[in-house]
Amino acid sequence: MLLFSAIHPINISKMKSGLVSISTCYMDLDDIFGPSLNLEDTHLNEGYQEGYKTGFASGKDDGHEVGIKTGFITGEELGFYRGCIDVWTSVIQIEPTCFSTRVQKKIKEMDELVSKYPILDPENENVTDIMGLLRLKFRAICATLNMKLEYKGYPKASEPNEIQF
Amino acid sequence: MTLLEEEGLQLREVQRLEGHTDRVWGLAWNPATGTAAAMLASCGGDKTVRIWQQRTASSTSFDCKAVLEETHTRTVRSCAWSPSGKKLATASFDATTAILEQNGDDFDCVSTLEGHENEVKSVSWNASGSLLATCSRDKCVWIWEVLPGDEFDCVSVLQGHTQDVKMVQWHPTVDVLFSCSYDNTIKIWAEDGDSDDWRCVQTLGESNSGHSSTVWALAFNNTGDKMVTCSDDLTIKVWGVDISRLQSGDDNASWRHLCTLSGYHERTIFSVHWSREGIIATGAADDAICLFVESEDHSVDGPSYKLLYKKEKAHDMDINSVRWSPVENRVLASASDDGTIKIWKLDSIH
Repeated sequence: MLLFSAIHPINISKMKSGLVSISTCYMDLDDIFGPSLNLEDTHLNEGYQEGYKTGFASGKDDGHEVGIKTGFITGEELGFYRGCIDVWTSVIQIEPTCFSTRVQKKIKEMDELVSKYPILDPENENVTDIMGLLRLKFRAICATLNMKLEYKGYPKASEPNEIQF
Repeated sequence: MTLLEEEGLQLREVQRLEGHTDRVWGLAWNPATGTAAAMLASCGGDKTVRIWQQRTASSTSFDCKAVLEETHTRTVRSCAWSPSGKKLATASFDATTAILEQNGDDFDCVSTLEGHENEVKSVSWNASGSLLATCSRDKCVWIWEVLPGDEFDCVSVLQGHTQDVKMVQWHPTVDVLFSCSYDNTIKIWAEDGDSDDWRCVQTLGESNSGHSSTVWALAFNNTGDKMVTCSDDLTIKVWGVDISRLQSGDDNASWRHLCTLSGYHERTIFSVHWSREGIIATGAADDAICLFVESEDHSVDGPSYKLLYKKEKAHDMDINSVRWSPVENRVLASASDDGTIKIWKLDSIH
């Protein structure tokens, strides 16, 4: 019987190290198959540990990569807004009447939002809210000033849906 | 004599306006009552806006006075005249809203509003003509201030709907904005103080006896104390508010459900409009037009409405818009997927 021969060595080693005698071992049928169950557990454990280790390493690598990528995207967008705000603010300082008070107020609000964006705290729940508000205010300013400001890769919020009326 | 007591009322087709080469989506009567002859704007899937003018004030004939083809690159979904009747705003699937102004016999595009990410579905002027609202498939509602020199300032971008916003409509007397959506709700927006801060003050959803499917359109009665909405759930709902509280700016002036009319249309109800005289007209995908009036016998549950008349097969295909003339009583215009516009007169056979 293949199964029996497979468990045999373990049985012997158990006899050697432990205090189980041959007679009791063969008398108790449960004990013959007991080690075979342990074997499965042991292998399962070993496999799990090995897989966990490998998974942990590759997961960390993946996360690292994704982090760099999304970090770059977020930083790029924030930097873009910062640049626009700084230019607009400088223009207002030189020519205080160049934008309507409504637009000036929105620029100031954007400034505050960019400043308080938690760059070093990516798990902060506010990040999506702040980014959403920034995009909204930016769109409102651009619409009023009647201009289109974009860069290659600027996020488009609309996902192509099926056409509805 | 009340309308319900008048016998033999019927919708008589006065004229069929042909010209659009695709489905007709929207209609707008010029509200300027000073002019002798009525003017109607229509827009549709053929990317054009057409201006129809009554020959003379007493005439039943309308002529196509202008075809505006250059303004939009995709379907023109809806149009609205400013209260003065001088400007026409058009909302298009090309993501823009255009402002057209009459210049002699021509219409010039004096401004293009860009801001929405995709299809603009509806446009509405407030009572004074100082504010313009637009809504889009991007789930947003935009409010624009009309400045001198055809400048438009974005006042606020309103987020709240979770789906495509089908229509925006300002209240006829108070600067409160209404929007209805594919998310089955009607949202009411009001300014919070004087800070350009607009927020949603009320949402009428299924839990408030609201609609259980897309809300396609809404309209107000003459005094603005009642609103009617129509939906893909095949019902028409009437809502009421304490108008004096609304006008005094009371935040607690909330709208409540008054009654639901069901069983009159067999398919999606796309359009609803309330005449000055108090007749509610509906147009639906079952090609029929229905007319309703408030019945005299008030029950304890509030007002009830009765079917005054139903015109089956008013068009060969879906009816997208029904609009009462602001100038002439009992004159109705309807627009359809069949590419035609019809002018109807509600009169007695006798």
